[in-house]
Amino acid sequence: MKYEDKIDLYNDEGKVLAENIPIEALHPYRNPYMAEMYMTLKRTGIVDLGKLEEMLRNGRTGWTSTVGQDEIKMPWYGLDLDLVEDSEEIAEELKKLLQIKEGDDTNIIELEGGSLLVVQLSEELLRRSADYSPAFTRVSVALAQIIAKKYGIDNPLDRPYRMGMLKNCLHGRYPQYVGPNSGNPVSTLMKVPSILEGLGTGFKSFMINHVVALGNNRTLEAVALATIFEQGAQAEMGNSVGWYERAQLLGSAYQGFNANNFVLSMLKENAKGTAYDVVLTLMERALANGVIEEPPNRYPFVQPSGYKLYGLKDYAMWNAYGVATLLCAVIVNCGAMRAAQNTSAVLGSWNDYIAFEGGGLPDPDAGRVMGTGLGFGFYTHGLYGGAGPGAFTMDHVIVRHTSGFLTPCVVAGMCLDAGSQIFRPSVTSGLYYTLADNLPIFQNPLEKVAEAAESVKGEI
Amino acid sequence: MARPRRAKKAKYKPQVYPGADKVSDRRRKATDPTKKLAKFRSIPDDNIVLLLGHRFKGESYVSVHPPLDELVEKYDPVKSIVEPTPGARAGDRIRYIQFADSIFYPPMAPWLRPRLYMSRLRGCDVMVYSGRQLLEQRERDIEGAAKWLLETEVYDPARNAIRGITVHGHSLRLDEDGLMFDARRRYKLNKDTGEVEYIKNMHAEVLDNPIPIGRPLTEREARGHDCTYRWDVAAYKSRTEILTVLARYSRGRITGGFNPELTEIIDCPR
Repeated sequence: MKYEDKIDLYNDEGKVLAENIPIEALHPYRNPYMAEMYMTLKRTGIVDLGKLEEMLRNGRTGWTSTVGQDEIKMPWYGLDLDLVEDSEEIAEELKKLLQIKEGDDTNIIELEGGSLLVVQLSEELLRRSADYSPAFTRVSVALAQIIAKKYGIDNPLDRPYRMGMLKNCLHGRYPQYVGPNSGNPVSTLMKVPSILEGLGTGFKSFMINHVVALGNNRTLEAVALATIFEQGAQAEMGNSVGWYERAQLLGSAYQGFNANNFVLSMLKENAKGTAYDVVLTLMERALANGVIEEPPNRYPFVQPSGYKLYGLKDYAMWNAYGVATLLCAVIVNCGAMRAAQNTSAVLGSWNDYIAFEGGGLPDPDAGRVMGTGLGFGFYTHGLYGGAGPGAFTMDHVIVRHTSGFLTPCVVAGMCLDAGSQIFRPSVTSGLYYTLADNLPIFQNPLEKVAEAAESVKGEI
Repeated sequence: MARPRRAKKAKYKPQVYPGADKVSDRRRKATDPTKKLAKFRSIPDDNIVLLLGHRFKGESYVSVHPPLDELVEKYDPVKSIVEPTPGARAGDRIRYIQFADSIFYPPMAPWLRPRLYMSRLRGCDVMVYSGRQLLEQRERDIEGAAKWLLETEVYDPARNAIRGITVHGHSLRLDEDGLMFDARRRYKLNKDTGEVEYIKNMHAEVLDNPIPIGRPLTEREARGHDCTYRWDVAAYKSRTEILTVLARYSRGRITGGFNPELTEIIDCPR
């Protein structure tokens, strides 16, 4: 065991789920549930057969904009194919083409009466590929061949535009552009590797609203999912190696997985309070639990006015307390307004309280949350234009600069929104609600993380 | 037999802000919600509604979603823990008030406003940008907050202004009447009454009748309420305590971000 820290995990109703868990059991590379989650994200492709059928019928394909699929509009080249009606057959064929050997773990789930296929490639295939692009490439090429064969458009000399149209609908502008278009009927869960923002940002390439939808609008569950995605990305970006590991693990445990019931009990204590009241609770708890201590009664520890520079016992733990309190401040403020727009207010302006209350102790994530939060505020308000908080992806250039502690707060804010946003999850992320209903891996993440941590406790 | 003494839980005493001088006191007073702000003037509710210009006088509140009691939402224990504000409960629209603050002896400054707002108001959205501070809340909440902000000591009719658009002016010299420059000429000094009157609302739309908003603070009063350090209010050297804290804060951020294991260096008090 590398670190002495042990925690108890609680769910969002205050029920204890696992006790005395060493924090390493919550490491993205140690926790079995997180491993399964990351594998699911990589091996899953989505085929929207209903949309594909419509695109083919109307001859509308190419780039998507807010008004629709309107780059290419050639109805005279349209193809009238009943893909949704034949979805069962297509799924069967798809499985045959995609599996490496018969009876492996390739899996195809038909949803919404066959208009949506969730394709899961075998883990063996992922093990042998450089990245997760097969979830797009193999699936769309296989689908092209199945459709061509089934509907008799597999002769390149007979009206070749038909295959051209099919290719355009399935691959979009790729490879003229670096990836498939947004709104492509075949897609991976994450952004495809060629359009990622940077090295290792794959797991956090979700839109914030998608995470809200996957968590079914349940605040702390969605926060846990966001933390799993963010911490997976942090590990992959090299931000949880060596020096940073303990701080990342403690931070994610306290903020994301309600360790020691910290977040929930703080919320209950400040249910009628303001964002500032939460800071006082933080100071009380940090002093009581020995994370910070009363300074000796002499200069410079106590300043002439009686102002104290509190002593720091353990920075990583202070940071964990800080990021968890940050989440509470967001929930207290957004929960009172029942709107999401004030997440950035807390993220950008609240951190000063901690600095001045603690006598100059660093704020959450050593100031990165505050810096990112201010920029986030500019772009979620009218100051520079932009979008609603939920429409940002977690790796967006505006929000990606923290160690994974900012976006879970934004997710919490979006969960608490009662309908004040234009870009709300029900508008942008309908597909992800369907996925959350049908893929059990996305349900009850808090419970599953705790169970998985319990199962590897002995090894650590 | 003596009764066993029960261990008393030490209550944390908020220290809010460093420094022993009067500017520090002003900042501490703004941040500390237990301190009551002195009431300087009184403005009728209807005039607040007119100044904000979001709805007509007597008009009912427009809602953006059904009241929370009627809204069917997905199960989430957290939603039932945090209590919504009256405006949120009713599903009001979200509206705003924006203040521009002069840099000449202001009783409040844009960078201090978030600390004033977030320690006293529930469910508020703040955002700062060069010389202005935006405050957004549900409509009936913002009207209450606006009344409080305009009536108390944090507002000086000459050096603070409500501006929804064309906010420029906070760093310009005051005009011959001592008022902050406003390209939209939303307010003027009524020389007969000695009060500042708004002739346009926050969005620079002309009002039917001018709205008096109180007399400007005198130079002497304004200095007494200043929240910034300057040579003739509180000298540079009186900031020593604040600078100590900020230096520690900065070092903590640099070292903590560089390597979270450097607790000893971060902890160093100077």
